[in-house]
Amino acid sequence: MMCGTGHEPEPGGAGGTDAVFAALLEDSAEELYETAPCGYLSTLMDGTIAKVNATLLGWLGLTRDEVVGRMRFADLLTVGGRLYHETHFAPLLRMQGSVGGIALELRTGEGGRLPVLVSSAVKRGGDGEPLLIRTTVFDARDRHAYEQELLRRRQEAEQARRQAETDRGRLQEALAVLQRSLLPAALPTVPGLEAVAHYHTASPDQLGGDFYDLFPLGGGRWAFFLGDVCGKGPKAAAVTSLTRYTLHAAALHDPDPVAVLTTLNTVLLERYSAGDPRFCTAVVGTLEAEPGGDRFTVRLASGGHPPALVLRANGDCDFLPTPGGVLVGVLPDPTFTPAATTLSPGDALLLYTDGLTEARIGPERALYGEEALQEFAAGYAGASPRALVEALTGLLDGFGDGLDDDTALLALGVPAPGAAADGPR
Amino acid sequence: MSPLAITTRDTATGPVLHVAGDLDHGTADELRALAAALPLRAGQRLVLDLSRLRFCDSSGLTALLAARNLALAARADIALAAVPVRTLRTIRLVGLDRVFALYPDTAAALTA
Repeated sequence: MMCGTGHEPEPGGAGGTDAVFAALLEDSAEELYETAPCGYLSTLMDGTIAKVNATLLGWLGLTRDEVVGRMRFADLLTVGGRLYHETHFAPLLRMQGSVGGIALELRTGEGGRLPVLVSSAVKRGGDGEPLLIRTTVFDARDRHAYEQELLRRRQEAEQARRQAETDRGRLQEALAVLQRSLLPAALPTVPGLEAVAHYHTASPDQLGGDFYDLFPLGGGRWAFFLGDVCGKGPKAAAVTSLTRYTLHAAALHDPDPVAVLTTLNTVLLERYSAGDPRFCTAVVGTLEAEPGGDRFTVRLASGGHPPALVLRANGDCDFLPTPGGVLVGVLPDPTFTPAATTLSPGDALLLYTDGLTEARIGPERALYGEEALQEFAAGYAGASPRALVEALTGLLDGFGDGLDDDTALLALGVPAPGAAADGPR
Repeated sequence: MSPLAITTRDTATGPVLHVAGDLDHGTADELRALAAALPLRAGQRLVLDLSRLRFCDSSGLTALLAARNLALAARADIALAAVPVRTLRTIRLVGLDRVFALYPDTAAALTA
Protein backbone atom coordinates (compact mmCIF):
# COMPACT_ATOMS: atom_id res chain seq x y z
CA MET A 1 0.00 0.00 0.00
CA MET A 2 1.20 3.48 -0.87
CA CYS A 3 1.61 5.90 2.01
CA GLY A 4 -0.27 9.17 1.73
CA THR A 5 1.76 12.28 1.30
CA GLY A 6 -0.33 14.17 3.88
CA HIS A 7 0.38 14.34 7.61
CA GLU A 8 -2.96 13.35 9.09
CA PRO A 9 -2.45 11.77 12.52
CA GLU A 10 -3.27 8.05 12.40
CA PRO A 11 -5.99 6.70 14.70
CA GLY A 12 -4.52 5.82 18.09
CA GLY A 13 -1.37 7.76 17.17
CA ALA A 14 1.63 8.65 19.33
CA GLY A 15 -0.39 9.60 22.39
CA GLY A 16 -2.38 6.31 22.39
CA THR A 17 0.75 4.10 22.03
CA ASP A 18 2.41 5.76 25.02
CA ALA A 19 -0.59 4.84 27.12
CA VAL A 20 -0.35 1.17 26.13
CA PHE A 21 3.39 1.10 26.87
CA ALA A 22 2.85 2.76 30.23
CA ALA A 23 0.37 0.05 31.17
CA LEU A 24 2.86 -2.62 30.17
CA LEU A 25 5.89 -0.97 31.77
CA GLU A 26 7.23 -2.29 35.06
CA ASP A 27 5.97 0.38 37.35
CA SER A 28 6.39 -1.64 40.53
CA ALA A 29 9.93 -2.55 41.61
CA GLU A 30 8.45 -4.73 44.33
CA GLU A 31 6.35 -6.71 41.86
CA LEU A 32 9.35 -7.08 39.56
CA TYR A 33 11.48 -8.34 42.48
CA GLU A 34 8.94 -10.90 43.56
CA THR A 35 7.96 -12.42 40.26
CA ALA A 36 11.09 -11.93 38.14
CA PRO A 37 12.05 -15.02 36.10
CA CYS A 38 15.00 -15.59 38.43
CA GLY A 39 15.43 -16.14 42.14
CA TYR A 40 16.61 -13.26 44.35
CA LEU A 41 17.80 -13.46 47.90
CA SER A 42 19.77 -11.36 50.32
CA THR A 43 21.63 -12.81 53.27
CA LEU A 44 23.57 -11.47 56.20
CA MET A 45 27.30 -11.99 56.09
CA ASP A 46 26.89 -15.26 58.03
CA GLY A 47 24.55 -16.56 55.33
CA THR A 48 21.27 -16.10 57.22
CA ILE A 49 18.55 -15.32 54.70
CA ALA A 50 17.09 -11.84 55.20
CA LYS A 51 15.00 -11.49 52.07
CA VAL A 52 13.90 -13.86 49.31
CA ASN A 53 11.60 -13.51 46.31
CA ALA A 54 8.49 -15.51 45.48
CA THR A 55 10.06 -17.11 42.39
CA LEU A 56 12.80 -18.75 44.45
CA LEU A 57 10.34 -19.79 47.20
CA GLY A 58 8.24 -21.43 44.48
CA TRP A 59 11.21 -23.42 43.21
CA LEU A 60 12.11 -24.49 46.74
CA GLY A 61 8.55 -25.34 47.72
CA LEU A 62 8.96 -23.32 50.95
CA THR A 63 7.10 -20.44 52.53
CA ARG A 64 8.67 -17.13 53.43
CA ASP A 65 8.27 -17.84 57.14
CA GLU A 66 10.14 -21.12 56.86
CA VAL A 67 13.09 -19.40 55.23
CA VAL A 68 13.63 -15.83 56.34
CA GLY A 69 15.67 -15.56 59.52
CA ARG A 70 15.63 -19.36 59.89
CA MET A 71 17.77 -20.75 57.09
CA ARG A 72 21.12 -19.92 55.63
CA PHE A 73 21.79 -19.91 51.90
CA ALA A 74 23.83 -23.09 52.22
CA ASP A 75 20.77 -24.85 53.72
CA LEU A 76 19.00 -24.48 50.38
CA LEU A 77 21.70 -26.49 48.61
CA THR A 78 22.22 -30.22 48.12
CA VAL A 79 25.00 -31.86 50.14
CA GLY A 80 27.39 -31.57 47.20
CA GLY A 81 26.34 -27.98 46.58
CA ARG A 82 26.85 -27.13 50.25
CA LEU A 83 30.35 -28.59 50.17
CA TYR A 84 31.22 -26.62 47.06
CA HIS A 85 29.73 -23.47 48.57
CA GLU A 86 31.80 -23.96 51.70
CA THR A 87 35.11 -24.69 49.95
CA HIS A 88 34.92 -22.49 46.87
CA PHE A 89 31.96 -20.18 46.58
CA ALA A 90 32.08 -18.46 49.97
CA PRO A 91 35.88 -18.02 50.10
CA LEU A 92 35.90 -16.61 46.55
CA LEU A 93 33.09 -14.21 47.43
CA ARG A 94 34.92 -13.00 50.56
CA MET A 95 38.06 -12.49 48.55
CA GLN A 96 36.64 -10.83 45.43
CA GLY A 97 33.43 -9.27 46.71
CA SER A 98 31.49 -10.98 43.92
CA VAL A 99 31.22 -14.28 42.08
CA GLY A 100 29.27 -15.04 38.92
CA GLY A 101 27.70 -17.97 37.14
CA ILE A 102 28.59 -20.71 39.60
CA ALA A 103 26.72 -23.98 38.96
CA LEU A 104 25.10 -25.36 42.13
CA GLU A 105 22.11 -27.55 42.96
CA LEU A 106 19.13 -26.52 45.07
CA ARG A 107 17.04 -28.96 47.07
CA THR A 108 13.45 -28.60 45.90
CA GLY A 109 10.25 -29.16 47.84
CA GLU A 110 9.61 -32.66 46.42
CA GLY A 111 13.09 -33.85 47.45
CA GLY A 112 14.38 -33.23 43.95
CA ARG A 113 17.31 -31.23 42.73
CA LEU A 114 17.26 -28.09 40.68
CA PRO A 115 20.45 -27.20 38.80
CA VAL A 116 21.01 -23.45 39.05
CA LEU A 117 23.56 -20.81 38.17
CA VAL A 118 24.29 -18.52 41.10
CA SER A 119 25.83 -15.04 41.16
CA SER A 120 26.47 -13.10 44.35
CA ALA A 121 27.78 -9.66 45.26
CA VAL A 122 28.63 -8.17 48.64
CA LYS A 123 26.91 -4.89 49.49
CA ARG A 124 29.07 -2.60 51.58
CA GLY A 125 28.18 0.27 53.88
CA GLY A 126 29.50 3.82 53.59
CA ASP A 127 32.58 2.86 55.58
CA GLY A 128 33.31 -0.11 53.28
CA GLU A 129 32.15 -2.64 55.89
CA PRO A 130 30.42 -5.62 54.24
CA LEU A 131 26.73 -5.50 55.11
CA LEU A 132 25.00 -8.24 53.23
CA ILE A 133 25.18 -10.54 50.24
CA ARG A 134 22.88 -10.17 47.26
CA THR A 135 22.34 -13.28 45.23
CA THR A 136 20.59 -14.10 41.94
CA VAL A 137 19.67 -17.68 41.08
CA PHE A 138 18.95 -18.79 37.49
CA ASP A 139 17.15 -21.98 36.59
CA ALA A 140 19.79 -23.99 34.72
CA ARG A 141 17.73 -27.08 33.91
CA ASP A 142 17.84 -26.44 30.15
CA ARG A 143 21.51 -25.68 30.24
CA HIS A 144 22.12 -28.69 32.44
CA ALA A 145 20.23 -30.94 30.02
CA TYR A 146 22.27 -29.44 27.18
CA GLU A 147 25.51 -30.12 29.00
CA GLN A 148 24.41 -33.67 29.82
CA GLU A 149 23.65 -34.17 26.14
CA LEU A 150 27.06 -32.80 25.16
CA LEU A 151 28.70 -35.10 27.66
CA ARG A 152 26.69 -38.08 26.41
CA ARG A 153 27.65 -37.30 22.79
CA ARG A 154 31.27 -36.95 23.80
CA GLN A 155 31.16 -40.30 25.56
CA GLU A 156 29.54 -41.85 22.49
CA ALA A 157 32.20 -40.36 20.22
CA GLU A 158 34.89 -41.64 22.55
CA GLN A 159 33.28 -45.08 22.56
CA ALA A 160 33.10 -45.05 18.73
CA ARG A 161 36.73 -44.02 18.54
CA ARG A 162 37.78 -46.86 20.85
CA GLN A 163 35.68 -49.30 18.82
CA ALA A 164 37.25 -48.07 15.57
CA GLU A 165 40.71 -48.50 17.07
CA THR A 166 39.86 -52.03 18.20
CA ASP A 167 38.47 -52.86 14.76
CA ARG A 168 41.52 -51.42 13.09
CA GLY A 169 43.81 -53.46 15.33
CA ARG A 170 41.81 -56.59 14.58
CA LEU A 171 41.95 -55.91 10.84
CA GLN A 172 45.69 -55.33 10.95
CA GLU A 173 46.14 -58.55 12.89
CA ALA A 174 44.04 -60.44 10.31
CA LEU A 175 46.05 -58.87 7.49
CA ALA A 176 49.32 -59.80 9.18
CA VAL A 177 48.15 -63.41 9.61
CA LEU A 178 47.07 -63.57 5.95
CA GLN A 179 50.33 -61.98 4.86
CA ARG A 180 52.32 -64.59 6.79
CA SER A 181 50.22 -67.34 5.19
CA LEU A 182 51.52 -66.13 1.82
CA LEU A 183 55.11 -66.73 2.87
CA PRO A 184 56.86 -69.80 4.27
CA ALA A 185 57.08 -69.74 8.08
CA ALA A 186 60.75 -70.73 7.83
CA LEU A 187 63.05 -71.84 5.05
CA PRO A 188 64.04 -75.52 5.14
CA THR A 189 67.60 -76.59 5.90
CA VAL A 190 69.38 -77.45 2.66
CA PRO A 191 72.59 -79.41 3.37
CA GLY A 192 75.59 -77.54 2.05
CA LEU A 193 73.60 -74.39 1.28
CA GLU A 194 72.73 -71.26 3.20
CA ALA A 195 69.33 -69.74 2.40
CA VAL A 196 68.17 -66.42 3.83
CA ALA A 197 64.98 -64.49 3.04
CA HIS A 198 63.61 -61.11 4.01
CA TYR A 199 60.19 -59.55 3.45
CA HIS A 200 59.71 -55.81 3.76
CA THR A 201 56.08 -54.73 4.16
CA ALA A 202 55.49 -51.22 2.82
CA SER A 203 52.10 -50.73 4.52
CA PRO A 204 50.51 -52.66 7.41
CA ASP A 205 47.10 -51.84 5.90
CA GLN A 206 47.76 -53.43 2.53
CA LEU A 207 48.42 -57.04 1.74
CA GLY A 208 51.46 -57.18 -0.46
CA GLY A 209 51.77 -59.27 -3.55
CA ASP A 210 55.36 -60.46 -3.22
CA PHE A 211 56.08 -64.14 -2.57
CA TYR A 212 58.92 -66.64 -2.33
CA ASP A 213 59.54 -70.21 -1.25
CA LEU A 214 62.19 -72.93 -1.10
CA PHE A 215 61.21 -76.59 -0.81
CA PRO A 216 62.58 -80.11 -1.44
CA LEU A 217 61.86 -82.00 -4.67
CA GLY A 218 63.48 -85.23 -3.44
CA GLY A 219 66.60 -86.90 -4.74
CA GLY A 220 68.87 -84.10 -3.53
CA ARG A 221 67.02 -81.47 -5.56
CA TRP A 222 65.32 -78.34 -4.35
CA ALA A 223 63.02 -75.85 -5.95
CA PHE A 224 62.74 -72.14 -5.26
CA PHE A 225 60.71 -69.25 -6.55
CA LEU A 226 60.27 -65.54 -5.92
CA GLY A 227 57.82 -63.19 -7.58
CA ASP A 228 55.47 -60.26 -7.48
CA VAL A 229 51.74 -60.20 -8.24
CA CYS A 230 50.57 -57.06 -10.08
CA GLY A 231 48.39 -54.81 -7.96
CA LYS A 232 47.84 -54.90 -4.23
CA GLY A 233 45.12 -55.47 -1.66
CA PRO A 234 42.97 -58.55 -0.97
CA LYS A 235 42.39 -59.40 -4.66
CA ALA A 236 46.13 -59.42 -5.36
CA ALA A 237 46.68 -61.49 -2.20
CA ALA A 238 44.23 -64.11 -3.49
CA VAL A 239 46.31 -64.29 -6.70
CA THR A 240 49.48 -64.57 -4.60
CA SER A 241 48.01 -67.56 -2.76
CA LEU A 242 46.93 -69.27 -6.00
CA THR A 243 50.33 -68.55 -7.57
CA ARG A 244 52.27 -69.98 -4.65
CA TYR A 245 50.39 -73.26 -4.53
CA THR A 246 50.38 -73.60 -8.30
CA LEU A 247 54.16 -73.11 -8.51
CA HIS A 248 54.72 -75.56 -5.66
CA ALA A 249 52.52 -78.27 -7.19
CA ALA A 250 53.85 -77.68 -10.71
CA ALA A 251 57.47 -77.97 -9.56
CA LEU A 252 56.74 -81.28 -7.84
CA HIS A 253 55.13 -82.55 -11.05
CA ASP A 254 57.83 -81.33 -13.46
CA PRO A 255 60.67 -79.26 -11.97
CA ASP A 256 61.81 -77.80 -15.31
CA PRO A 257 61.57 -74.03 -14.59
CA VAL A 258 60.07 -73.19 -18.00
CA ALA A 259 57.44 -75.91 -17.55
CA VAL A 260 56.60 -74.58 -14.06
CA LEU A 261 56.10 -71.02 -15.35
CA THR A 262 54.06 -72.29 -18.30
CA THR A 263 51.73 -74.13 -15.93
CA LEU A 264 51.29 -70.99 -13.84
CA ASN A 265 50.62 -68.99 -17.01
CA THR A 266 47.88 -71.42 -18.03
CA VAL A 267 46.29 -71.32 -14.57
CA LEU A 268 46.28 -67.50 -14.37
CA LEU A 269 44.89 -67.14 -17.91
CA GLU A 270 42.17 -69.67 -17.21
CA ARG A 271 41.22 -68.35 -13.82
CA TYR A 272 41.38 -64.61 -14.46
CA SER A 273 41.11 -63.88 -18.19
CA ALA A 274 37.44 -62.93 -18.07
CA GLY A 275 36.91 -59.33 -17.00
CA ASP A 276 39.46 -59.07 -14.21
CA PRO A 277 42.83 -60.25 -15.55
CA ARG A 278 45.64 -60.86 -13.06
CA PHE A 279 49.34 -61.17 -13.70
CA CYS A 280 52.59 -61.75 -11.91
CA THR A 281 56.30 -61.74 -12.49
CA ALA A 282 58.31 -64.67 -11.16
CA VAL A 283 61.69 -66.34 -11.11
CA VAL A 284 61.46 -70.11 -10.69
CA GLY A 285 64.38 -72.47 -10.34
CA THR A 286 65.95 -75.67 -9.09
CA LEU A 287 69.07 -76.39 -7.08
CA GLU A 288 70.93 -79.64 -7.48
CA ALA A 289 73.99 -80.63 -5.48
CA GLU A 290 76.72 -81.91 -7.78
CA PRO A 291 77.69 -85.47 -6.94
CA GLY A 292 80.43 -85.70 -4.35
CA GLY A 293 81.11 -82.00 -4.57
CA ASP A 294 80.24 -78.85 -2.70
CA ARG A 295 78.81 -77.13 -5.75
CA PHE A 296 75.18 -76.59 -6.74
CA THR A 297 73.79 -76.39 -10.24
CA VAL A 298 71.13 -73.71 -10.52
CA ARG A 299 68.58 -73.77 -13.33
CA LEU A 300 66.03 -71.02 -13.48
CA ALA A 301 63.58 -69.22 -15.72
CA SER A 302 61.99 -65.79 -15.53
CA GLY A 303 58.59 -64.51 -16.48
CA GLY A 304 58.94 -60.74 -16.71
CA HIS A 305 60.95 -60.62 -13.49
CA PRO A 306 64.10 -58.52 -12.90
CA PRO A 307 67.21 -60.66 -13.44
CA ALA A 308 68.85 -62.50 -10.53
CA LEU A 309 72.28 -61.41 -9.33
CA VAL A 310 75.14 -63.88 -8.98
CA LEU A 311 77.82 -62.95 -6.44
CA ARG A 312 81.09 -64.86 -6.83
CA ALA A 313 83.66 -65.72 -4.18
CA ASN A 314 86.26 -63.84 -6.24
CA GLY A 315 84.33 -60.58 -5.94
CA ASP A 316 82.50 -60.68 -9.28
CA CYS A 317 78.87 -59.64 -9.24
CA ASP A 318 76.77 -60.03 -12.38
CA PHE A 319 73.18 -60.36 -13.46
CA LEU A 320 72.11 -63.74 -14.75
CA PRO A 321 70.32 -62.61 -17.91
CA THR A 322 66.87 -64.01 -18.64
CA PRO A 323 65.79 -61.77 -21.52
CA GLY A 324 62.51 -62.18 -23.33
CA GLY A 325 60.54 -63.66 -20.45
CA VAL A 326 57.12 -62.08 -20.36
CA LEU A 327 54.77 -61.28 -17.48
CA VAL A 328 52.97 -64.49 -16.43
CA GLY A 329 49.27 -64.71 -17.31
CA VAL A 330 49.23 -62.41 -20.37
CA LEU A 331 49.84 -64.54 -23.45
CA PRO A 332 48.36 -67.93 -24.31
CA ASP A 333 51.72 -69.09 -25.72
CA PRO A 334 54.41 -67.26 -23.75
CA THR A 335 58.16 -67.68 -24.01
CA PHE A 336 60.01 -67.98 -20.73
CA THR A 337 63.79 -67.77 -20.91
CA PRO A 338 65.84 -70.41 -19.12
CA ALA A 339 69.29 -69.77 -17.67
CA ALA A 340 71.74 -71.80 -15.63
CA THR A 341 74.79 -71.30 -13.45
CA THR A 342 76.85 -73.12 -10.88
CA LEU A 343 77.31 -71.98 -7.30
CA SER A 344 80.72 -72.86 -5.87
CA PRO A 345 81.79 -72.27 -2.28
CA GLY A 346 81.59 -68.55 -1.53
CA ASP A 347 79.12 -67.94 -4.40
CA ALA A 348 75.55 -66.73 -3.88
CA LEU A 349 72.43 -66.11 -5.92
CA LEU A 350 70.26 -63.11 -5.03
CA LEU A 351 66.60 -62.89 -6.03
CA TYR A 352 64.64 -59.69 -5.32
CA THR A 353 61.41 -57.99 -6.26
CA ASP A 354 61.31 -54.58 -7.91
CA GLY A 355 60.30 -52.81 -4.68
CA LEU A 356 64.07 -52.65 -4.18
CA THR A 357 65.15 -51.43 -7.63
CA GLU A 358 62.13 -49.16 -8.14
CA ALA A 359 62.69 -47.36 -4.82
CA ARG A 360 63.03 -43.58 -5.06
CA ILE A 361 66.04 -42.06 -3.37
CA GLY A 362 67.30 -38.64 -2.46
CA PRO A 363 65.60 -35.26 -2.75
CA GLU A 364 65.18 -35.76 -6.52
CA ARG A 365 63.42 -39.08 -5.84
CA ALA A 366 65.68 -40.69 -8.41
CA LEU A 367 65.20 -44.34 -9.30
CA TYR A 368 67.51 -46.61 -7.27
CA GLY A 369 67.81 -49.00 -10.22
CA GLU A 370 69.59 -52.23 -11.15
CA GLU A 371 73.04 -50.67 -11.55
CA ALA A 372 73.08 -49.26 -8.03
CA LEU A 373 71.92 -52.63 -6.72
CA GLN A 374 74.70 -54.43 -8.61
CA GLU A 375 77.28 -52.00 -7.23
CA PHE A 376 75.94 -52.36 -3.70
CA ALA A 377 75.80 -56.17 -3.88
CA ALA A 378 79.33 -56.36 -5.29
CA GLY A 379 80.51 -55.15 -1.89
CA TYR A 380 79.15 -58.41 -0.46
CA ALA A 381 80.48 -60.80 -3.12
CA GLY A 382 82.11 -63.65 -1.20
CA ALA A 383 80.24 -62.76 1.99
CA SER A 384 77.58 -65.07 3.43
CA PRO A 385 73.96 -64.84 2.19
CA ARG A 386 73.02 -63.70 5.69
CA ALA A 387 75.48 -60.80 5.60
CA LEU A 388 74.16 -59.87 2.14
CA VAL A 389 70.50 -59.93 3.20
CA GLU A 390 71.24 -58.02 6.40
CA ALA A 391 73.04 -55.34 4.40
CA LEU A 392 70.13 -55.12 1.93
CA THR A 393 67.64 -54.93 4.82
CA GLY A 394 69.60 -51.95 6.13
CA LEU A 395 69.56 -50.42 2.65
CA LEU A 396 65.76 -50.85 2.41
CA ASP A 397 65.25 -49.30 5.85
CA GLY A 398 67.41 -46.37 4.74
CA PHE A 399 65.10 -45.69 1.77
CA GLY A 400 62.39 -44.56 4.23
CA ASP A 401 59.27 -43.38 2.42
CA GLY A 402 61.05 -43.68 -0.94
CA LEU A 403 60.22 -47.37 -0.63
CA ASP A 404 56.47 -47.54 -1.25
CA ASP A 405 56.20 -51.13 -2.45
CA ASP A 406 56.64 -54.46 -0.69
CA THR A 407 60.01 -56.06 -1.26
CA ALA A 408 61.05 -59.70 -1.03
CA LEU A 409 64.66 -60.90 -0.93
CA LEU A 410 65.94 -64.47 -1.21
CA ALA A 411 69.66 -65.26 -1.12
CA LEU A 412 70.97 -68.78 -1.76
CA GLY A 413 74.67 -69.41 -1.27
CA VAL A 414 77.27 -72.10 -0.77
CA PRO A 415 79.27 -71.29 2.37
CA ALA A 416 82.92 -70.52 1.71
CA PRO A 417 85.39 -73.03 3.12
CA GLY A 418 86.11 -72.23 6.75
CA ALA A 419 83.12 -69.90 7.02
CA ALA A 420 80.99 -70.31 10.11
CA ALA A 421 78.18 -72.74 9.29
CA ASP A 422 75.20 -70.45 9.21
CA GLY A 423 71.91 -72.31 9.37
CA PRO A 424 69.00 -71.03 7.32
CA ARG A 425 66.96 -68.31 8.89
CA MET B 1 49.89 -37.72 -6.55
CA SER B 2 47.87 -36.36 -9.41
CA PRO B 3 44.41 -37.60 -10.35
CA LEU B 4 43.77 -39.61 -13.46
CA ALA B 5 42.13 -37.78 -16.38
CA ILE B 6 41.10 -39.67 -19.48
CA THR B 7 39.70 -38.02 -22.60
CA THR B 8 38.29 -39.97 -25.50
CA ARG B 9 38.50 -39.03 -29.18
CA ASP B 10 37.03 -40.90 -32.13
CA THR B 11 39.08 -41.29 -35.28
CA ALA B 12 38.48 -43.07 -38.57
CA THR B 13 40.49 -46.06 -37.37
CA GLY B 14 39.07 -46.26 -33.86
CA PRO B 15 39.02 -44.52 -30.48
CA VAL B 16 42.02 -42.71 -28.98
CA LEU B 17 42.23 -42.47 -25.19
CA HIS B 18 44.46 -39.73 -23.77
CA VAL B 19 45.51 -40.96 -20.34
CA ALA B 20 46.91 -38.22 -18.07
CA GLY B 21 48.03 -38.32 -14.44
CA ASP B 22 48.65 -41.33 -12.20
CA LEU B 23 47.55 -44.79 -13.26
CA ASP B 24 47.82 -46.78 -10.02
CA HIS B 25 45.99 -48.96 -7.51
CA GLY B 26 43.57 -46.12 -6.75
CA THR B 27 42.75 -45.10 -10.32
CA ALA B 28 43.34 -48.14 -12.56
CA ASP B 29 39.67 -49.18 -12.39
CA GLU B 30 38.68 -45.90 -14.09
CA LEU B 31 40.62 -46.86 -17.21
CA ARG B 32 39.26 -50.39 -17.09
CA ALA B 33 35.67 -49.18 -16.80
CA LEU B 34 36.13 -46.63 -19.56
CA ALA B 35 37.74 -49.14 -21.90
CA ALA B 36 34.93 -51.62 -21.23
CA ALA B 37 32.36 -49.03 -22.30
CA LEU B 38 34.09 -48.15 -25.61
CA PRO B 39 32.17 -49.01 -28.78
CA LEU B 40 35.04 -50.97 -30.35
CA ARG B 41 34.34 -52.66 -33.68
CA ALA B 42 36.18 -55.56 -35.26
CA GLY B 43 39.17 -54.39 -37.29
CA GLN B 44 39.49 -51.06 -35.41
CA ARG B 45 42.53 -50.00 -33.42
CA LEU B 46 42.31 -48.67 -29.88
CA VAL B 47 45.15 -46.21 -29.24
CA LEU B 48 46.15 -45.31 -25.68
CA ASP B 49 48.06 -42.02 -25.80
CA LEU B 50 50.24 -42.01 -22.67
CA SER B 51 52.16 -38.79 -23.38
CA ARG B 52 50.78 -37.20 -20.21
CA LEU B 53 50.91 -40.30 -18.04
CA ARG B 54 52.81 -39.25 -14.93
CA PHE B 55 53.05 -42.56 -13.07
CA CYS B 56 52.10 -46.17 -13.77
CA ASP B 57 52.49 -49.03 -11.29
CA SER B 58 51.68 -52.73 -11.64
CA SER B 59 47.96 -52.03 -11.13
CA GLY B 60 48.27 -49.57 -14.03
CA LEU B 61 49.96 -52.17 -16.23
CA THR B 62 47.16 -54.57 -15.33
CA ALA B 63 44.61 -51.99 -16.51
CA LEU B 64 46.50 -51.59 -19.82
CA LEU B 65 46.43 -55.37 -20.24
CA ALA B 66 42.72 -55.45 -19.33
CA ALA B 67 42.13 -52.90 -22.12
CA ARG B 68 44.11 -55.16 -24.46
CA ASN B 69 41.92 -58.15 -23.53
CA LEU B 70 38.80 -56.08 -24.26
CA ALA B 71 40.20 -55.00 -27.64
CA LEU B 72 41.13 -58.56 -28.57
CA ALA B 73 37.70 -59.81 -27.47
CA ALA B 74 36.17 -57.29 -29.91
CA ARG B 75 38.59 -58.55 -32.59
CA ALA B 76 40.15 -55.11 -32.55
CA ASP B 77 43.79 -54.11 -32.16
CA ILE B 78 45.50 -52.03 -29.45
CA ALA B 79 48.54 -49.76 -29.49
CA LEU B 80 50.36 -47.60 -26.95
CA ALA B 81 51.56 -44.18 -28.09
CA ALA B 82 54.11 -41.82 -26.54
CA VAL B 83 54.92 -44.05 -23.57
CA PRO B 84 56.95 -42.04 -20.99
CA VAL B 85 60.53 -43.27 -20.49
CA ARG B 86 59.96 -44.57 -16.99
CA THR B 87 56.88 -46.59 -17.91
CA LEU B 88 58.60 -47.82 -21.08
CA ARG B 89 61.39 -49.16 -18.91
CA THR B 90 58.90 -51.12 -16.78
CA ILE B 91 57.07 -52.35 -19.89
CA ARG B 92 60.35 -53.70 -21.31
CA LEU B 93 61.34 -55.20 -17.95
CA VAL B 94 58.21 -57.34 -17.77
CA GLY B 95 58.30 -58.25 -21.46
CA LEU B 96 55.21 -56.26 -22.46
CA ASP B 97 57.10 -54.60 -25.34
CA ARG B 98 56.38 -57.86 -27.15
CA VAL B 99 52.70 -57.70 -26.22
CA PHE B 100 51.82 -54.11 -27.07
CA ALA B 101 52.53 -52.32 -30.35
CA LEU B 102 54.44 -49.19 -29.26
CA TYR B 103 54.56 -45.91 -31.22
CA PRO B 104 56.38 -42.64 -30.58
CA ASP B 105 53.12 -40.67 -30.87
CA THR B 106 49.42 -41.01 -31.66
CA ALA B 107 49.83 -39.88 -35.28
CA ALA B 108 52.25 -42.73 -35.89
CA ALA B 109 49.92 -45.17 -34.12
CA LEU B 110 46.99 -44.07 -36.29
CA THR B 111 48.80 -44.34 -39.61
CA ALA B 112 50.68 -47.54 -38.89
